[in-house]
Amino acid sequence: MPVWFELAVTMLAAYGAGVAIGWALWGRETVPTQEDSE
Amino acid sequence: MRIRPALAILSGAVLVAAMGYSIALSTAASFIEPLEEEAQAAIAKAGGRGVTARFATPAGAPSRHPLLTGGRRLPEDTRARVAQAVAAVPGVGGVFWSDGTIRASNARDRYEPLHCQEDVDGLLRSRSIRFEEGSNRMLPASQLLLDEVADSLRPCLGAIISITGHTDNSGTEPGNIALSMQRARAVREALVRRGIPRDGLRARGVGSAKPVAGLTPDDPANRRIEFAVIRTEPLTPTPVDTPGAR
Repeated sequence: MPVWFELAVTMLAAYGAGVAIGWALWGRETVPTQEDSE
Repeated sequence: MRIRPALAILSGAVLVAAMGYSIALSTAASFIEPLEEEAQAAIAKAGGRGVTARFATPAGAPSRHPLLTGGRRLPEDTRARVAQAVAAVPGVGGVFWSDGTIRASNARDRYEPLHCQEDVDGLLRSRSIRFEEGSNRMLPASQLLLDEVADSLRPCLGAIISITGHTDNSGTEPGNIALSMQRARAVREALVRRGIPRDGLRARGVGSAKPVAGLTPDDPANRRIEFAVIRTEPLTPTPVDTPGAR
């Protein structure tokens, strides 16, 4: 298994974890729409 | 213009993968070179004359997983020692031989039962597992003894342990055999409740056929439970990561 593949997979895993944490912290809040604010 | 989240995440992933690839291209050589030097030193130390470690894939990309070549005339144990020495270098991944790879047969780490038979015999030398008269219900004091027996048998997991119930010769022999069988089964269940796997335990009852040597068959001391480690099954750890001679 080449080094580039191991590094890419590791970085993708870290990226995926970051996206998941970000989504859990901020992604679930619904953005108020025009209709909601009226 | 609103960017679709899935597209943004996917683009980020592609970008991250591309970064990983480019970082690896520029740094892999400086990472692999010390590994190669340490691996060659380990090979020399292990007596692997003529063996070389190539830290690259067949396509030529640098890799942490070396391909060992040469050393065809070396004895098998030397080849295994060389492969294990290379695998022990920090940072090295799986080791393979160019002429075909099998994992090591890890004969040295064979499981040895730890004198369970002697430990149990020692426990039962001065005390015995006692039951209520004509019943397979154990006396409370015997529960404590059984705790100790279970602790002694625990290192012998993987062994077949025979539990034999005996009685004195009061009553009819068919009744005695049935009672001794029930008592042996009661002990087996008690051991299972204490965490000993059921499939390693064999219960049997022999009635009053085998009194204790030196005692008359009607002596109440013949009511007893005996344990015997009748077969051991060596458990060889699966050598998943241990490289072998080929």
